[in-house]
Amino acid sequence: MNTSSERILAIVPAFNECGNIGRTVQEIRNVAKGVDILVIDDGSLDATAQEALLAGGMVVSLPFNLGIGAAVQTGFQYAQSHQYDIAVQVDGDGQHDASYIDKILRPIRCQEADMVVGSRFLEKTGGFRTSFSRRVGINFFVHLINALTGVKISDPTSGFRAYNKKMIALFSEYYPHDFPEPEAIVVAQQAAGRIVELPVVMRKREAGSSSIRYFKTVYYMIKVTMAILLHMIRQKPRQG
Amino acid sequence: MNIHVVALVVSVAIFLLVIELVRRHRLTFKYAVGWLLVSGGAIFFAIFYRLLFSCAAWLGFELPSNFIFFTLFCVFVTSSLLLTVFLCQQNSRNDVMAQKIALLEFELKELKKKLN
Repeated sequence: MNTSSERILAIVPAFNECGNIGRTVQEIRNVAKGVDILVIDDGSLDATAQEALLAGGMVVSLPFNLGIGAAVQTGFQYAQSHQYDIAVQVDGDGQHDASYIDKILRPIRCQEADMVVGSRFLEKTGGFRTSFSRRVGINFFVHLINALTGVKISDPTSGFRAYNKKMIALFSEYYPHDFPEPEAIVVAQQAAGRIVELPVVMRKREAGSSSIRYFKTVYYMIKVTMAILLHMIRQKPRQG
Repeated sequence: MNIHVVALVVSVAIFLLVIELVRRHRLTFKYAVGWLLVSGGAIFFAIFYRLLFSCAAWLGFELPSNFIFFTLFCVFVTSSLLLTVFLCQQNSRNDVMAQKIALLEFELKELKKKLN
């Protein structure tokens, strides 16, 4: 998995993922040899941190729940300060099939992309493809992001992603905090990042519940749309 | 009691309350300035109320009371917006601190492991 001296960090955000996180870490360890695994325990109230540690992951525990965006950004900050070459983001809920990590790392290694998004919808590969209402919402974001940036990503809510050094530096400085995945694509595109999408298979979560399951899809769509539009008019942070 | 006197007493009381809160370190000067300006303005118009009537008439308010309510509404909306900005700033700072604490705690544990 790990070639020559390149350093790869798997960022695994987890909030109350006891029952899933151990298996996720173990799976990454089995298929992605030489990849350091950093679990960001986002203020879990259960034994997520202990389970991740037992499975062999490094665990950074946030003192309280900050949300998925801040948790992932903590991973980028760690990757940046420890000079990792590549970061791969894998959800702690066991939905992402770790055997695809190698596949989504390839365009980064070949320097064909700065960011790779694993998509459920690029190919009819089977696996879990989410509910109808969610797919309507996802489709809406596909068109919104395409209209605003010209980038066509078929699965903008996918959190199964790989990033090179340029993106690690970018996202360690700024990463959207609430429902960040669609907005992060816009952020990357505005920083002239080359975004590539590859087909992956995702599974239905085995324990616990998704953080957006209880939000109505419409509310999610409105909130993320506003976040993306506000990002478009936001003043860019000064460099240096 | 004359309404002008009541208005003056209330305005002076708010002004003095803000000063007392600053004195007791319950309010910092940075956040007291706005309230001092507003209560100072209220004292000014309570004394020179004819000027308030002229302002209301000049701006097209039929009743001076409408002008007062409108002004108060604007003050509270602005104050609420500024408080939201402050809240967001504090929230962001909290997030940054929580991230830094978590990373430092992790680094510390790793260092301790290496030393042992």
